[in-house]
Amino acid sequence: MVSEVIDRSARFHGILDRLTEKSIDDYYNPYRLFEWPEQLPEDMWWMSPELTTTHGTEIADRLGREQLYALSRQESINFYSLNVHGIRELLVEVVNRIHTKGFETPSEFFHHFIGEENEHMWFFAEFCLRYGNGKMYRQPAVTGGPAPSREVESLLVFARIMIFEELVDHFNSTMAADDRLHETIRAINRIHHQDESRHIAFGRELVQLLFDEVRRTASNTELDDISRYVRRYMTHSFESLYHPQVYRDAGLDNPHEVRRALLESDARARAEETTFRKTSKFLRKTGILR
Amino acid sequence: MSSSVDTQGIDKVRDWILGRHPDRTELAPDVNIIENRLVDSLAFVELVYAIEDASGREIDFDAIDVEDFQSLATIERAFFS
Repeated sequence: MVSEVIDRSARFHGILDRLTEKSIDDYYNPYRLFEWPEQLPEDMWWMSPELTTTHGTEIADRLGREQLYALSRQESINFYSLNVHGIRELLVEVVNRIHTKGFETPSEFFHHFIGEENEHMWFFAEFCLRYGNGKMYRQPAVTGGPAPSREVESLLVFARIMIFEELVDHFNSTMAADDRLHETIRAINRIHHQDESRHIAFGRELVQLLFDEVRRTASNTELDDISRYVRRYMTHSFESLYHPQVYRDAGLDNPHEVRRALLESDARARAEETTFRKTSKFLRKTGILR
Repeated sequence: MSSSVDTQGIDKVRDWILGRHPDRTELAPDVNIIENRLVDSLAFVELVYAIEDASGREIDFDAIDVEDFQSLATIERAFFS
């Protein structure tokens, strides 16, 4: 049982107590925290250029400065949209597990997690609605994975949450420190990065425990399936940054062709590797990635 | 004229699916691609983009009906007719 593994782990209890205390100490009112100017200037980067999907490719070389700014604008709206819908999906999973059998111990922290994630979803949505012409980009929904048992299902749910959070955090920490970006953009990335460091610490501990439990009884084939799925999920998450409607809205012709060319580029492979360097190391260390 | 264009469209989708499964050389119109795991949850987004690209039509992701994506026949009916 998941709850027995969790209860046996003194380390997990200690970390949960520390993270819960930190959530209480760092609590803030997001609805009053940010300054939302009427407009953000268009003649500047909205996303660090190194994080945009055309960076280091021939496509970027062909675009003028104005078009690169426009692309960074649309890509930032896509990034915050991914956050909104990613959070919505992970909240459903956590809400489905809070105060249920097996998750008694982390439920106290789940309350903070749910509350904070709801607030993040609010400020990311607010950004899109104010500065993205009321638009949020969508992706076709993803549900499920190889789940021969409830334990594997929970492992994959929390592994997906962790991977998503680590992907986003790479972008947040870079943009929070980038003085080419507007202060409002830097502020939402900074605040999110602060909260996410707690969620990531929690996620890694929980994923490790859930995997230890799964590994006790799983067959070699099941472990291979989990590894393959997690690896594919990482690529899938990274590729969600490459959105055909973004390219179209930034004025690029043949958006699907642009997306295909970018996905096949060496720059994409390098960017994915950099983004997930720490995540991959963690997943290999746990044995989840084989 | 338009039917030949439409046939080319669904052929592109078929080629995209077969391209992901080198062990297969054919895909009949009524084979359920979801149940047979030719397209799983992670590949679904790519299928949707492949259909958009082949049909030249943007798909509303808020109004996706999974029934439309069960087989080449249902895809053709929903997006290429």
